[in-house]
Amino acid sequence: MMAAVADDVTVTELTPEFSFTDVSVRFGSFVAMGPATLEVRQREFLVIIGPSGCGKSTLLNLAAGTLQTRTGSVLHRGAPLRGINHDVGYITQKNYCLPWRTVEANVRLPLEFRRWPAAKIKLRAAAAIAQVGLTGFENAYPKQLSGGMLQRVLIARTLAYNPSTYLLDEPFGSLDAQLRMHMHRELMRLWQTTASTFVFVTHDLHEAITLADRVVVMSGRPGRIKLIVDIDIPRPRDVVDIQSDPRFGAYFKTLWTALSDD
Amino acid sequence: MTAIGKRAGRSAMLADPAPTGWQVLNRFTLGSDTAIQITILAVTLAIWQISASRLGMEFWISSPAGIWRAFGKWAANGVMLGDIRTTIIEAGIGFVLGSSIGGLVGFVLGWVRRLGDIFEPFVIAFYTLPKVALAPLFVLWFGIGMGNKIMFATLLVFFMVFFTTFQGTRQVDRDLVSNARLLGASRWQIWTKIALPHASVWLFAGIRIGLPYALIGAIVGEFIAAENGVGFRIREATSFYDTSAVFAGLIVLMGISMVCLAALKIIETRALRWQNVRDLTPAG
Repeated sequence: MMAAVADDVTVTELTPEFSFTDVSVRFGSFVAMGPATLEVRQREFLVIIGPSGCGKSTLLNLAAGTLQTRTGSVLHRGAPLRGINHDVGYITQKNYCLPWRTVEANVRLPLEFRRWPAAKIKLRAAAAIAQVGLTGFENAYPKQLSGGMLQRVLIARTLAYNPSTYLLDEPFGSLDAQLRMHMHRELMRLWQTTASTFVFVTHDLHEAITLADRVVVMSGRPGRIKLIVDIDIPRPRDVVDIQSDPRFGAYFKTLWTALSDD
Repeated sequence: MTAIGKRAGRSAMLADPAPTGWQVLNRFTLGSDTAIQITILAVTLAIWQISASRLGMEFWISSPAGIWRAFGKWAANGVMLGDIRTTIIEAGIGFVLGSSIGGLVGFVLGWVRRLGDIFEPFVIAFYTLPKVALAPLFVLWFGIGMGNKIMFATLLVFFMVFFTTFQGTRQVDRDLVSNARLLGASRWQIWTKIALPHASVWLFAGIRIGLPYALIGAIVGEFIAAENGVGFRIREATSFYDTSAVFAGLIVLMGISMVCLAALKIIETRALRWQNVRDLTPAG
């Protein structure tokens, strides 16, 4: 399954989770993104912001291996990516739950794909469901759940197979503001309990500053890396209190300026 | 023990509360739907009986009493059960053959985009053809025995199931497939865990549409050339101007198809339980 990681590469704590070097993506003569160079550190919470259509999602697709490019290189833990990267979890705002499967069966799906023994699947699925607070809803069908709960099912499904990177593409884009803040709190808790790297794409500056260790600002098309800002606000962070932190306002201004002089 | 526990847990969350004694009683009192339906049936039968006898229309529309007598005669000489059996066997085999072949072909052509694109014009050409027009040809090919009716029922069911499954399967959300691939699914697993369950909804829809066509195929086949069967009996009665026997035959057909649809409904609700679940409250 993890053929993407070659044996002859030694991975240390300093090996970047992902290194994009001079990567650009073209569709014909149209340059969609890049050239861009970016290192994603192991276990960090990296947020990518930028105007619509700047190639934020393209970067995630490159990391997931669903999109390949011949210009530049993409390394995952030091090894070049070949084909689909099964060591990532990809969560978007789209509902990818299978409607004919219950919550529990949806969470089981990636483990069934990996042909784990049934007993182990059952345990792991139950643990993942508990971790996102969906215990009691195991036998419900996606149709019966609200948007926030569906998002939790998708998170639990990713959690179940414990990928080394979570790729999150505006996962809470369709949720209302209050629920979104709830989800931020839970996502940060989750990030702290797993040993995984989170790469989160959004165009919401509040969301970016609340969650990130580092915020990457991309320019308009063709998307390039314009600025990288370290968010020096100690953790654990409170999703409400952080907004009145003086540093929050300063970061907001920096990022806003970087985004608007495009 | 476990089964009971499971059911209790599920019903607490999803199912209707059990009807109370009062509600059960209420279903059959005056003003309930059932009572109104029974009244409609009774009034219709009464009007039918009266217009047949008083207005002298019995030759054209028979009468409930006349149909009842025709039933008695049909059953008494032992022919009815044989006729019903013949028709059910023809329609049944046709139904099983037609829906399995139609479902399989529809699924494969619907799922494999390229194949679907290649075959689509042929599919549309056949779709526009009124299939009943093929019946005389089938007599030529398969004779006037049961084989002819089975093949004809198979053909009609095949087309109904095939079209529905084909169209439905084509509509699969391709993102669902690429997401499954990302989650680690092999080619085979995408067929078994995504494609088949997705298509089963359409397969069931096709089967539900196709079921009456099994009976249509058998009956049309019997109309054209046969030695027994309910359709043959209806045609025979018509040629003797025996309206009562014709209506008796029609009622038997109605009975057969209603039993089949009820059986299908039960299977379908079990297989597609996820489609009919109710909302959970409060939403989180």
